[in-house]
Amino acid sequence: MPIDGTKIIHAVMEGSRIRDAKGIIPLFGVYLSIFFVPYYNRVSFEFEKKMGKDQDVEAASLLIEAAQECGYATFHGIQNSWEWQEIVEPMIEKREDQIFGFTAVALAFGWGDMEVRELVPNERLLIRVTDSYEAARYAEDHGPATSGKCYMLRGVTAAFMDLLYGGIYPEGLFTFSAEESCCRAKGDQCCEFLAQKR
Amino acid sequence: MQINWKNELNRKGRRVVLSNQPVAMHCHHYNINLQKTLEDTLGEEGVRLLYQAAEEASFDGFQTLFSQHKKLKTTESKLEFAADIYQNCGLGIIRFQETDSRGGQIISPAGHHVTGWLAKHGMRKTPGCHFSRGWIAGVLEVIYDHPPGYYSVKELACKMMRNETCVFQVTEKLKRKRKLKT
Repeated sequence: MPIDGTKIIHAVMEGSRIRDAKGIIPLFGVYLSIFFVPYYNRVSFEFEKKMGKDQDVEAASLLIEAAQECGYATFHGIQNSWEWQEIVEPMIEKREDQIFGFTAVALAFGWGDMEVRELVPNERLLIRVTDSYEAARYAEDHGPATSGKCYMLRGVTAAFMDLLYGGIYPEGLFTFSAEESCCRAKGDQCCEFLAQKR
Repeated sequence: MQINWKNELNRKGRRVVLSNQPVAMHCHHYNINLQKTLEDTLGEEGVRLLYQAAEEASFDGFQTLFSQHKKLKTTESKLEFAADIYQNCGLGIIRFQETDSRGGQIISPAGHHVTGWLAKHGMRKTPGCHFSRGWIAGVLEVIYDHPPGYYSVKELACKMMRNETCVFQVTEKLKRKRKLKT
């Protein structure tokens, strides 16, 4: 695997320290913000609560869709950025290597250590995360969950496959969908996401 | 006080930390998608949730930040520090022009959520800086030593509506209630 994640982390950490005169961080083709993790968890889990028990599946779907659409647009921007072309592209030998570039960027953003466990081109992607901020906080605040709680990472895993195998942007969005088979919020050892074609 | 951003924003193992508190980097696509999902699905309740989540996170975060920067003693230095953090976090520019413990007016000529919203959805008909309102409430509650929920922050003008700047009005919630009764 030729992708050097430390180079990507270094580029993100250095780039995130540069903002323009408007206090905006333009990095890897997107506008980046930095904020405390509890904000994102509160928004997701309170939203789910407010939607009510009979609509919890609908709430989860909306959060996963929001993340998948974000992941699709974000990583498309990243793929087309000069930073990607300068830093990541020279390390890419085959198409699938891009996924390893994406997971390195996600780790650099503080989303979790997304480890690619299995990748069958155009078919399936299995990603394992041991320190998802969504799972960690959910268990702390709400006790053990009965279903997976990493909505952002679940949507993003599917978005990686959409970008690689979904066809020309932006038509490929939602070609794939992901399930979270195990989640630390449920008491599992790690969180796992399996993206497959819909 | 000059912030040493290289020390403040760092990595702790796999996590990104701001003065040892876990933070995440998210782009405008995600932040605006979350906002739109909550607004479209829950309406006013969703707006309140975005505001309160930002207020709480900002309150807790700045309480820790100020406890680690004991050299910041005056209100002015704390306000300046908060505005620097806002800018360094890529959230935009914020100017605490006329504020005291009773509230005041704050101006933001540029913001992450404004840039993001306009890029994704164009002009709004109603003010949309719910995150910034909550962020302002939380930080002022820490600076002026009040509990979370003490202030009410309204957005009088918003760049998402193509106003020239975002203008936020901060008032004390209890006083507002008393005024309404009389």
